[in-house]
Amino acid sequence: MTPMSTSRRDMLKTAACGIGSLALAGLCADQARAANPLSPKKPHHTPRAKRVIFIFMQGGPSHVDTFDYKPKLIKGDGRDIDFKGVRFGTFGKMSKRKLMKPLWGFKQYGERGAYVSDLFPHMAQHVDDYCMIHSMHTEGVAHGPSTLFMHTGATNQIRPSVGSWITYGLGTVNQNLPGFVTINPSASKGGPRNYSNAFLPTIYQGTTVGRAGQPASKATINNITNTRLSGKVQKKQFEFLQSLNREQMQRTSGGPGDDQLDATIESFELAWRMQMNAPGVLNISGESKKTLELYGINDPRNKHTDDFGRQCLLARRMAENDVRYIQINYSDESTTPRWDQHSNMPKHADHARAVDKPVAGLIADLKQRGLLDDTIVWWGGEFGRTPFSQGKNGRDHNPRGFTVLLAGGGIKPGLAYGETDDIGHKAVTDKVHMHDLHATILHLLGLDHEKLTYRFSGRDFRLTDLYGRVVHEIFA
Amino acid sequence: MNRTAFVMTVATLLITASFAGAAPSQTNIDFFEKKVRPILVKRCYECHAETAKKVKGGLLLDTRAGWQKGGDSGPSLVPGKPDESLLITAVRYREEDYEMPPKGKLPNAEIAVLEQWVKDGAVDPREGKAMITGGAKEIDLAKGRQFWSFKVPKKTAPPSIRDTSWVRSDIDRFILAKLESRNLRPARDADQQTLVRRAFLTLTGLPPTPKQTDEWSSRPFADLIDHLLASKHYGERWGRHWLDVARFAESSGGGRSLMFKNAWRFRDYVIDAYNGDKPFDQFAREQIAGDLLPYDSPKQRAEQLTATGFLALGPTNYELQDKETLRMEVIDEQISTMGRTFMGMTLGCARCHEHKSDPIPTEDYYALAGIFGSTQTIKPGNVSSYIEQPLPNEKEHAAKEQYDRQAKQLTAKLETANKRLKDLGGMPETATAKRVAGSKSRPITSLPGIVIDETSAKLTGKWTKSVHSAYFVNDNYIHDSGQPKGANTAVFEPKITEGGIYEVRMSYSPGSNRTTNLRVKIDHQDGPTIVTVNQVKTPPIDDTFISLGRYRFEADTRSAVTISNKGTDGVIIVDAVQFLSEPVLAKLSKIKPVRAIPAPPKPTNKNRNKAFREATALVKKLDKQLKDLKKKAPKSKAVAMSVTDEAKPADERVRIRGVVRNLGPVVPRGFITVAQPAGTPPPKIETGSGRLHLANWIASPNNPLTARVYVNRVWRHLFGVGIVPTPDNMGETGRRPTHPKLLDFLAHQFIADGWSTKKLIRRIMLSRTYLMSTDFDSTTAAADPENQYLWRFNRQRLEAEVIRDAILFASGKLDLTGGGLTIRKFSTYDLGYTFNTVRRSVYVPAFRNSMLELFEVFDFANPNLVIGDRNTSTLPTQSLYMMNSPFVIEQSRHTAQRLFNEISDDTARLELAYRRILCRKPTSGERALAARYIREFSPDDSKTDDKLEAWSSFCHSLFASLDFRYMN
Repeated sequence: MTPMSTSRRDMLKTAACGIGSLALAGLCADQARAANPLSPKKPHHTPRAKRVIFIFMQGGPSHVDTFDYKPKLIKGDGRDIDFKGVRFGTFGKMSKRKLMKPLWGFKQYGERGAYVSDLFPHMAQHVDDYCMIHSMHTEGVAHGPSTLFMHTGATNQIRPSVGSWITYGLGTVNQNLPGFVTINPSASKGGPRNYSNAFLPTIYQGTTVGRAGQPASKATINNITNTRLSGKVQKKQFEFLQSLNREQMQRTSGGPGDDQLDATIESFELAWRMQMNAPGVLNISGESKKTLELYGINDPRNKHTDDFGRQCLLARRMAENDVRYIQINYSDESTTPRWDQHSNMPKHADHARAVDKPVAGLIADLKQRGLLDDTIVWWGGEFGRTPFSQGKNGRDHNPRGFTVLLAGGGIKPGLAYGETDDIGHKAVTDKVHMHDLHATILHLLGLDHEKLTYRFSGRDFRLTDLYGRVVHEIFA
Repeated sequence: MNRTAFVMTVATLLITASFAGAAPSQTNIDFFEKKVRPILVKRCYECHAETAKKVKGGLLLDTRAGWQKGGDSGPSLVPGKPDESLLITAVRYREEDYEMPPKGKLPNAEIAVLEQWVKDGAVDPREGKAMITGGAKEIDLAKGRQFWSFKVPKKTAPPSIRDTSWVRSDIDRFILAKLESRNLRPARDADQQTLVRRAFLTLTGLPPTPKQTDEWSSRPFADLIDHLLASKHYGERWGRHWLDVARFAESSGGGRSLMFKNAWRFRDYVIDAYNGDKPFDQFAREQIAGDLLPYDSPKQRAEQLTATGFLALGPTNYELQDKETLRMEVIDEQISTMGRTFMGMTLGCARCHEHKSDPIPTEDYYALAGIFGSTQTIKPGNVSSYIEQPLPNEKEHAAKEQYDRQAKQLTAKLETANKRLKDLGGMPETATAKRVAGSKSRPITSLPGIVIDETSAKLTGKWTKSVHSAYFVNDNYIHDSGQPKGANTAVFEPKITEGGIYEVRMSYSPGSNRTTNLRVKIDHQDGPTIVTVNQVKTPPIDDTFISLGRYRFEADTRSAVTISNKGTDGVIIVDAVQFLSEPVLAKLSKIKPVRAIPAPPKPTNKNRNKAFREATALVKKLDKQLKDLKKKAPKSKAVAMSVTDEAKPADERVRIRGVVRNLGPVVPRGFITVAQPAGTPPPKIETGSGRLHLANWIASPNNPLTARVYVNRVWRHLFGVGIVPTPDNMGETGRRPTHPKLLDFLAHQFIADGWSTKKLIRRIMLSRTYLMSTDFDSTTAAADPENQYLWRFNRQRLEAEVIRDAILFASGKLDLTGGGLTIRKFSTYDLGYTFNTVRRSVYVPAFRNSMLELFEVFDFANPNLVIGDRNTSTLPTQSLYMMNSPFVIEQSRHTAQRLFNEISDDTARLELAYRRILCRKPTSGERALAARYIREFSPDDSKTDDKLEAWSSFCHSLFASLDFRYMN
């Protein structure tokens, strides 16, 4: 691997001086860059990836019905097992639960014959492109705490989101777009705290593009366009505003060094550039029919994939434009979020149908464009689901063992790492805690999770608190 | 890990000591070398050896001494006893919170080797030390007390200065002395117009109208300050500063966000406190222990109860399933918030280890945890909830007092009557019991030991009373109707006055529809125990009670029996719980067991005398009177979020490394040692949680931190930067005061002034220092670029609320109504709430899951954290908001329309626009720029729509401009 070098294109994008209509007399580019906390920063070590796309499956997809093949669970269908309660009211108490075999069949795919269930026929075609971590485990049992833990490394306390930590640690290359974007996030189950900067400076907060429940075709950044004035008139207004500002600055500012006002004027220039650039990135009308097909967009025969397909395509477009951390959300605002099938596991089929083709399309597209080499793709939920039944045909939350998929950016493709026990209940071999996953992702980006700290309230905080193990075994 | 681990640890110490001298055999050594050592090296050394990158849990396993001493949880092995050895427990992977190695369970063969090794005496030839040197260092409290913020502020004389003509007050002497010592010169005074805007924005958060600017520009500044301090908008502005540090919000945020329907009362309480200039010590006391303070009137009581919302309205994740963890998290949030808010101390660090930078040992944290742990803040449940207390008003209060008096009298009379009846050989009974069930009831007074009926239990969820099935204690039993599961709990908390072993029994009336798997939790001295009860079966003792076992209880710790319908498969019955001490049990065993009685003994003839009849009648009469009275018990309608003392206050145990179930020693409740003079004994907390003691300690003039921290906060809001630039952190990692003596001077004066905020603000604003302009001087700036020594006034970015209020004020749309509930309607969650109010910003609903966009963009205080020093960021998102948000566009139009309605002349209109939005007149250059812009925008004067559009766009540009966004 070669260290990330600053290309000419990057230079142009980062240069704060000389691009806007206002040249900052007396301020050199370095000074402006130092003042911009989003400027790219040097990583701790040579990175293997530059950016992350996190595909969040809200509600907790069942691993035993999808990517974690457990023959003994199939054999043991209907058998009683002893279960120690984890929820309020049953905490620590023993009870009997009935094993329930997967509702879908499994087939083998790819070079190593990886098992994937019939829920994901498209993603199954790409098993050689991603690594499956079967031994995930995490904190919390309910959605809120576990979702927060996945995003921030804490179930209850106020901590910055992974994306905030990463943009804080690395800055971002493209100053005309936000560094951390989350598309159609849910306002429930942690809501804004899932993409919040917490105590980090505000600039590291995730920028939302749309929100859950809204069609992805309508997703946009707040206030990125002016709905009242035409482009031409607005340009006039903008120029007038900046001339007013210069007039005011001359009146009250004492000259070089009194840079508070300069910075505000410059922030208008940046905003103007964002306004000129971001809508283009969000507009997919220029994509070829073939590409749209790949993601399952505009398919007259299958409408189910359209919405998530658009999210996946936006993710690729942002990756192309060097957004540092991109999260897309298969989520909603319900109390039992999308994959949360407590009572009706067959409904997993609807969700799988909605995401299978788009995600497979995204991986294929990133790969064909050479973007997969330096982009980490993380697919997964906040936890998995129990191998035993809940009610007639549901499954409860299972934070003790589940599967996530990782592709691209320095990850060994086609690998299966770690194991759950025979029935898929608990991670037992090569366990990977959510803290470990966070540490690993940071490592791939060139950040040492023990060194990426921020001092707040008198002490240094980390994404991984006191924990976290970099899972070197999954590196290519 | 549970409580037993701690007991074990103590035992271990004794045993290891006795094994130390045993001579190991060669076989044992060979076994160690061949089998055990390789496992330890391969599986444990990565984290538990001197060579480890980072030693975890303070435990070394690369020497014998290492495991003998053990880590944070105590010695790792009990030679000869694998079942009692922590290391073995950990590798067996049976206890959820105690599994090693973390990466996965060892192969069974390896576990067997380790078990064998321990069983054979854990022979270990490895010499070496037990600890990594340079690890945790002892906290030196004597040295700690020397740190500036732990010394009580002393009365400080102002320093002498050279240029006496500049100073107006003592404050100026402190400021000028520092400037002079560095050869810096103070900036000139700001002009009147600037000062008027500054004073209005600072004290009320609203800009002056053009008329007010004119009026106050020619009047004394002192009068203006008094005028503004008397305005009701002062409390709205300064109350909001306090709400920032009180991390005020009207929903919990996080997982399943709960709405705090009555949090607005706390907000209004704070605003009123500022407007009424409530002494700060009292303000502090009320927020920490308002529910425990005496009161003279219902109004005062209501105010004090509302104040405790401070402790209750944190960002709690009520959905957390592990309720012990939730309890500790709530305590932690309260300690951290209180510590930062009142004392500027970061106490949260000491939850897991000795504070690394400040002299705060873990014991201090758990001393406070005992106080908050003895305070009830949440009601447990699947999704737990917060506590609300009724607020009395004058009328209701009088009724309540009368009721309480009557109820007390009647209860006493009934007790006497019952006793008399019992003495006469009768069965004390209540009218209801006799009327409806006679034979099915067991009067509580007939039962030995401590008996708690369900009427005295803490109940949550919906319960139905019934007398249908035999037997039950007193009037009736209750059941959960079998549906829905998980919502109902009943907690019985006995008053144990004498410690010892008690048998716990529970009564229920059996039936075929009952649950077979009721789980009853007994909280006793040696940890909670869960017992499963099958309520289909007839209870074995007198057909009424079942024994739940014998446990140890102590007088000073919480004891409880908790019944929940979570996960039960049938109707659950809750009736009474009985505690029988060993002496009582011994007595009972001598008595022949009463035969299972299907009916209570009928009164015999010899009892049918007059006295007996009269006694029975009296009991019946009094009982009826009491019941009738209770039916009419007055209820208060208004409620506030609050806290309450637990029935059984108790000291907390240290949680090793902050791990909830890793228990260390008990710590007596108390305060922060370093902030008290050496040798101060722990507070005598004889009744209650100790919160009142804590409140009094915090609000004391002798507390070195409270007054300083508060005075510094006020300074911060006046100058933009505190004397200590980190207002929430006055510890080692915080910044040092730039003017320590001035801070002490102000703190001392503040206390002498009766903790009056208004007097403090007035004193500071009347200084020459406050009058300085923001004029920049590059020479002075080179010597003090951060303006630490205040050579000029700091130019300040307006806060989010001020930006919004000032825009609405200019557009004429601001609604200045004060107080009250402002959330339109309560949906289940706060997400997706549409903020469409034009009330002042302080009244905009403050949610944790959704925030007014303008607030989010302009660094509004994060309602999850104590924010005494808001960020002031300069971001493109702010510019996008000012340029493109529908709010600014719409209000600009209203502003223009308002100008059009008032004035037809363009020149005058331009001037009014400037004065209304920027509170000053335009310069000639600005006039020219504006005139040209409007002309280009709408060349044709007759097209009024175009003209209005041009003026809207012009006003819009003024709102977006620098002079609007900053206060000079």
